[in-house]
Amino acid sequence: MATSTATEPAPGSTGPVAHHFNNMGQQLATVRFGMWLFLVTEVLFFGGAFCAYTVYRVWFPKDFEAGSAALNVGIASVNTFLLLTSSLTITLAIRSAWLGSKKALFNYLLLTTVLGTAFLGLKAREYYLDYEEGLIPGNSRLTSDAKREVDKERAKLYTEAEAIKAALVLNRAAANDATKTDAERTFAAIAVADKERQLLHTLAIAGEAPNAFNENLKVALHHADFKGVAGKDYDPSRVQLFFMFYYSMTGLHVLHMIVGLGLLVWQLALVKMGFFDYTARYVYIETMSLYWHFVDMVWMFLLPLLYLCGPHTASQAVSQFKEAIGLATGSGTH
Amino acid sequence: MATLTETPASYESLIVERLDYTPQMLPPREPTAAEDETRRHYLNHDYSLFGWLFTVDHKRIGLMYLVAVSVFFLFGGIAAGLVRTNLITPTGAILELDQYNKAFTAHGTIMLFLFLIPVIPGVLGNFLVPIMIGAKDMAFPKLNLASFYVWFFGALFFVYQLLVGGLDTGWTLYPPYSSKYSHTNVLYAGLGIFITGFSSILSGLNIIATVHKMRCPGMTWGRLPLFVWAMYATSVIQLLGTPVLAVTVVMLAVEKLFGIGIFDPTIGGDPLLFQHMFWFYSHPAVYIMILPGMGVINEVLTCFSRKNIFGYKAVAWSSVGIAVVGFLVWGHHMFLAGQGYYLGMVFALLTMLVAVPSAIKVFNWTATLYGGVISFQAPMIFTLGFIVLFTVGGLTGLFLGTMGTDIHLHDTYFVIAHFHYTMVGGMMFAWQAGLHFWWPKITGKMYSDFWSRLAAIVMLVGFALTFLPQFVVGYLGMPRRYPNYPPEFQIYNVLSTGAAYIQGLGYAMPIFYLTASLFFGKKAGNNPYRATGLEWQTTSPPEAHNFPETPTVYFGPYEYGVEDGLRIVDDLERTAKPSSNGVYATANQGVTSGH
Repeated sequence: MATSTATEPAPGSTGPVAHHFNNMGQQLATVRFGMWLFLVTEVLFFGGAFCAYTVYRVWFPKDFEAGSAALNVGIASVNTFLLLTSSLTITLAIRSAWLGSKKALFNYLLLTTVLGTAFLGLKAREYYLDYEEGLIPGNSRLTSDAKREVDKERAKLYTEAEAIKAALVLNRAAANDATKTDAERTFAAIAVADKERQLLHTLAIAGEAPNAFNENLKVALHHADFKGVAGKDYDPSRVQLFFMFYYSMTGLHVLHMIVGLGLLVWQLALVKMGFFDYTARYVYIETMSLYWHFVDMVWMFLLPLLYLCGPHTASQAVSQFKEAIGLATGSGTH
Repeated sequence: MATLTETPASYESLIVERLDYTPQMLPPREPTAAEDETRRHYLNHDYSLFGWLFTVDHKRIGLMYLVAVSVFFLFGGIAAGLVRTNLITPTGAILELDQYNKAFTAHGTIMLFLFLIPVIPGVLGNFLVPIMIGAKDMAFPKLNLASFYVWFFGALFFVYQLLVGGLDTGWTLYPPYSSKYSHTNVLYAGLGIFITGFSSILSGLNIIATVHKMRCPGMTWGRLPLFVWAMYATSVIQLLGTPVLAVTVVMLAVEKLFGIGIFDPTIGGDPLLFQHMFWFYSHPAVYIMILPGMGVINEVLTCFSRKNIFGYKAVAWSSVGIAVVGFLVWGHHMFLAGQGYYLGMVFALLTMLVAVPSAIKVFNWTATLYGGVISFQAPMIFTLGFIVLFTVGGLTGLFLGTMGTDIHLHDTYFVIAHFHYTMVGGMMFAWQAGLHFWWPKITGKMYSDFWSRLAAIVMLVGFALTFLPQFVVGYLGMPRRYPNYPPEFQIYNVLSTGAAYIQGLGYAMPIFYLTASLFFGKKAGNNPYRATGLEWQTTSPPEAHNFPETPTVYFGPYEYGVEDGLRIVDDLERTAKPSSNGVYATANQGVTSGH
């Protein structure tokens, strides 16, 4: 086994072999094989989540469409473009490593890192906007728009309550009016009981603490011009379930992206340290790219399942993205 | 075998000649006493703490698993003792009701996640798989160390959660009880299971990569020891099943943290979905627990009956068959959970299918015994115990896999007895067989013959008396997981508890005589049982890189007394060049491909 400690490897050398392998061919084949096995487990891991998603998507289609309509498809589209491009650049990095062109290798890896980081930056922006819109299941914070809507609704209820109260006073007077006939008095007494019940009911509704997520969702869907399949035929608690899947599945994806970026930075350092002076070691780049492509592929499933299952238009996507990065003021959000 | 056609002088002499030891290659010279003093092997080449804690040597990692697994077994055993002691009286002898729930959950979860799943893959799999295939180490030695530590710290975290808050859901963690009503540490215990599961995935990955890529020249798939085949099948299950459990636990945690109804029906979820996803892992997981044990049985059985395995291919492929079909039968845990009548019928049918490869193994083992020269050393007693107990456990499993009978037996002590027969009577006995069989290889010392045989018999008797009454009381209708029972069941429970103490004594015995063997045991020599496996063709204990040079394999793993084997060895002796250090002579040095 030719092993060289000099900075310039001997021609044809494949570099030092790890202690437990017989030769470089075995070592590299093992490395590649190990990554394929790892990807099998990853498929099963995401597969469990996709399976649960599918069950509820089939059970609650309208609610999931409503949830999807509230998502920012503009950012998702641009992110898809970034991620697919990064898959191209990492493949070019493999080729550069194979050809022994260190400079190109470094640049392509750097470009991949930048594209991946841009993805995460946009994703963070998207999470922030979701937070701004109050679309976090189980939260108790009303957005200003939602608060305005709730206050308006409440004011309407209190006005109603006042009207009922007035009717109540009239009926009470009528019930105790000796000049009326017995039948009229009885009729008024029944009306009194009825109005009292109505009043209590209306005041109870007006006094109830609103479900923040549901109110925020209403506003968000209004801004997204969501008409629904049959009007407002969705159940907000089911939409919470959609958002749970949205956060946990994209969250797991982001976690994998972060690991991938860590690997990329490590490979960049290895390039600088001369690890890839042996061109046979392009396999390490290839192995890492397998992981990167896998993460890419998961996103290609997340995009239709989460973002595209609701009604969106292209122009909406464009304006959403412009809004998100501050190129345009929002049509509705403030 | 020319001698076979002649009339032998005596039967014994024929047997000795016919079934004599056939070495896989030229056996290494036994080191002399003087050489032994200075010989460096994996145990003594480095005494530093760093050299142990950060070792990437698969043999040292195997020993670390051995220590850790034994400690966790002790914990699980104590919990079992509490449960059994409490059941002496119909109203509960020592524990409060919620303490009882925590005790049986601790027993179940510790024994499953921290003992049965890691024990043989962690200890014997780690130690033996690379040696058996003639490799210097696992494919990914650092990953191997990482998966030990991930498992170890996950396990410590899990046990800590059991001790401070407890867990009372049973090992199955069914929601909505676990996500909504239980006030114990479900969330953190779930995290502990998630972490140990991650280690299980990485170990499985490592074994598969090792078997695929690290085999020495001549070690074809058809010459792999059946233990390696079993470990391979186990690893496939670990690789495919465990991630699903991981994501299920994540969803359970999300439900508990945010109150979103994934599994809780009152807020829109479906508890059956959890059961489906849980059993999709957890039924194959019982094969993770039994397959390595079956692998051990092949090695021990052939050695102590001095015969080749009957039907190598059938046994090898039945391991893979169990791994594949095992993924299709999870619904038989849910016959009464409301999964639907026709779905239940399909699962009942598929469950019958998975009995086929298991039965193939048992029949092949008995056929291997037939006509063999059987000696009853401790590993063989454990092995014969395994075959009998596993057969009982397997056949009673058919009662439970059939929908009609399962309606009567579901969630009774019949189920408890059934899976203890397979898990304890199966895996625990296989583990003891393997530990005793390879102890001389691992430590280089021989344990006490008398005490080991006695321990095997005590364990067998204790085991049978503990769980036989449970079949009866389960059939009569005593439900599992209840601390109270009608007084007429007391006799069975007292019997069971008394025998459990005998069993406990049996499990304690090896701690003493195995430890004693380290200090006072005779030197075992390289191959005390005159076995044919590749692991016996290196020194005991093996050196740091297992073999002085990469070995080359010329024939199968169980060729006890086959005349072809002898002839090949003769040829080898004539053609092989002595290697530089004089310990080995291999005909094909420097060949590097694994095929």
